[in-house]
Amino acid sequence: MSLSAENLLDLYRTMLLIRRFEETAFIKATEGIYANYHGGMGQEAIPAGVCHGLKATDKTMITHRGLGVLLARGITVEQIFAGLYAKLTSPTRGRIPVYHMGEPDLGILAGTSMVGSVVPLAVGSALADQLAGHNNVTISFFGDGAVNRGDVHEGMNLACVRKLPIVFFCENNFYAKSTPLELSTAGGSIVARAQGYGIEGHLIDGNDVTTVHEATQHAIERARAGDGPTFIECETYRWTPHSTAGDREFARTEEELAQWKAKCPIKRLEKQLLDSNQASADQLQKIDQEILAQVEQAIDFAAAAPYAPRETAIENVYR
Amino acid sequence: MATITYTEALNAAHHQAMQDDARVFLIGEDIGQYGGIYRVTEGLLEKFGKKRVRDTPISEAAITGAAIGAALVGCRPILEIGFVDFAGTCFDQITNQAAKFRYMSDGQVSVPLVFRMACGAGLGYGVHHSQSLEAWFTHVPGLKVVMPATPEDAYGLLLSAIDDDNPVAFLEHKMLYSLKGEIPDARPRVPIGKAKVVRDGDDITIVAWSRAVHWALAAAEEAAREGISCHVVDLRTLMPLDEATLFAAVEKTGRLIVCHEACQTAGFGAEIIARVVDQAFDALDAPPLRVCGPDTPVPNSLPLEAVYLDTEFRLMDAVRNLTVANHPKPKKTRTRS
Repeated sequence: MSLSAENLLDLYRTMLLIRRFEETAFIKATEGIYANYHGGMGQEAIPAGVCHGLKATDKTMITHRGLGVLLARGITVEQIFAGLYAKLTSPTRGRIPVYHMGEPDLGILAGTSMVGSVVPLAVGSALADQLAGHNNVTISFFGDGAVNRGDVHEGMNLACVRKLPIVFFCENNFYAKSTPLELSTAGGSIVARAQGYGIEGHLIDGNDVTTVHEATQHAIERARAGDGPTFIECETYRWTPHSTAGDREFARTEEELAQWKAKCPIKRLEKQLLDSNQASADQLQKIDQEILAQVEQAIDFAAAAPYAPRETAIENVYR
Repeated sequence: MATITYTEALNAAHHQAMQDDARVFLIGEDIGQYGGIYRVTEGLLEKFGKKRVRDTPISEAAITGAAIGAALVGCRPILEIGFVDFAGTCFDQITNQAAKFRYMSDGQVSVPLVFRMACGAGLGYGVHHSQSLEAWFTHVPGLKVVMPATPEDAYGLLLSAIDDDNPVAFLEHKMLYSLKGEIPDARPRVPIGKAKVVRDGDDITIVAWSRAVHWALAAAEEAAREGISCHVVDLRTLMPLDEATLFAAVEKTGRLIVCHEACQTAGFGAEIIARVVDQAFDALDAPPLRVCGPDTPVPNSLPLEAVYLDTEFRLMDAVRNLTVANHPKPKKTRTRS
C-alpha cells in the first residue's frame, strides 16, 4: 500500500505548514507576545501521517502539545495564531487556550491541558460512535508523560473490554517536562502495556511520515471492522523545551538534539521525493514560499485582530 | 530584618524544616533539579539528596496517596501539586482519605501532610492554571486551609503547617511569588488559625486573604483619602477560622466587606458572612457585602482575564456603598440574650 506522489506531496505540504507554524509560534512566544507555548517542532510527521485520510466524522483529541493536528484537520493557520494571541478571531474568542477548541464539523474534539485526562474523554467519543452504529474512529493522542496517569489506564481498559473504535496514539518524545522516560515509566516500554489489555501494540518510527500513516491506517481498519482498539507508540523528539515559560533543560543534551535533527521528518520525505523524482527541488521550494507567505499573513492577521469585548467574558458558562 | 521574596521565604522554610526534622521529605513533579514550577524547591535536592527530594512521574493520584500513606506511618511529607487546578486529579485521596483517617480511626492515626498548590489568575494561563479553589478544601472537615499573603507569613505558616499533625492545604498565589517583604531575623513561626489585623481602622472591616489582602490594603489607602477608615483583616488561615479576630473587627466597625479572588457563589466569603450573621448579628450596622470573582471559569486573554480580576477595582465601590451616609446606623430593637 504505497502512497501516490500526490499523497506524498500532500503529506509534505502538511508537515511543512506545521513546521513553519511551529517555528513562528515558538519565536513569538519567546518574545512574550502570548502567555506560553508548548512547541511541537520536530514531531510533524505524527499529525500529518495520522490525520491524512481521516474522514471528517472521525474524531481526534489532542493535548497541550501538538497543534499540528488542528492544522492537519483543517483549522487554518490564521485561526490558530489568533488563538495563540487570544484574539476575538480565535476559534475560542480568546477565552481559553486554543488547544481546548472543539470543531464538530472537522471531527476535532475539545481537549484539555490535564495530562492524561484526555484519554477517557476520547474513549467516550468512541463509545458514542459504537452506540450509534457509526463507522467512525477516534484517535486519542497523548504523550509519554501521560502513560502513568490512572485515567489513561482506566480509559484504555474500558475501551478494550468493550472493543471500542479507538486508536491510542502515544507520542513518545522521551521527556515529560524535565523527567526522562526511564525515571518515570516502569517496565522499560510503553507499548508493552498494550499486551496487558490484550490489544495490538506497535512501536514505530514517529519521524517517518509514511510509517506513521500506514500504522494508523492499519489501526483504523481494525477499528472500523469492529476489532477494537490498537495502541501505537511512536518515537520522536521535540526540538524545543517543554514550554516557553522559562523551562530549564537538564537531561536533554545538544548531542541528543542533533541526532534527532538528523532524523528530521520533513528532510526525510524531501529526500525521498527528490531521489524518486516524484518532485523537483523547484516545486518543493515553491510550496515552502507559499506556506511562508501564508504564515506571515496569519501573524499579521492575528496581531491586528481585536480582543473579544469585555462582556463576552461571562458568556457560555451554561448553554 | 531582612527583605526576601515570597518564593525565597517558602524555600527557606523548606530548608529549615528538612534540616530540623529527618521525617520531612518532598514529593512532586519537577521538584528536584528543576526546582519546582515556581522555583520554591530550588537547591533542596542538592542539599538533602534524592531520597528526601522525590521527583515523580505524572501520577497525581499515586503520589498523593503515597504521601498520605507515608504520613500515616510517621513521615511528614510535603507534596507539591503544581497548580491547585490539578487537585481534581487527586481529590479522592485528599478528601476521602487524608481528611478522614483521624476521624475514622478515632484518633489512632493522623496524617501530618502539607500539600502545596499554586493558585490564582493574572498571567493569562487560562481555565486550568488560574483558579482559586480554596472552597473545595474548606468544605471538607479534617483539612486545614492556609493562604499566606506575605513572605513573612509564607515562611512562618509553612513551618507551622509542617509541624501540624493534620493534612494542610497550603495555597500560594502565583502573583505573590515575586512579592518582597520584611521578615524578622528570628524568623518566627506563624500559628495556624490566627488572623492578623494588617491595618487598623474604625469605619469598615475588610476581610481578605492571599492576593486580595493587597487589594484590600490598596482600597483602604484610597478610602482614607476620601475620609473612610478601613480595618483590614488578613485571614491567613481559612480553616480553622479565627472567629475571635473576625467578630472583634465587626464589633469595632459595624460594617463588613469580604473580598476574595475566587468566584462568589459558595465561596468562603459566604461562610464568613453566615458566621457573622449567626453569631454577631447585633454588631452589624449595615448589610455585610461580598466582593468576589464572577461565577465563570478564568478566561485566557489578558483583557478577558482582567474582567475576572475586576474584583480589585469593585472593592472601592463596595467601600463607598457601605458608608454611614448610605447605610445610617440602625436603631437596635433587639438585644442578644
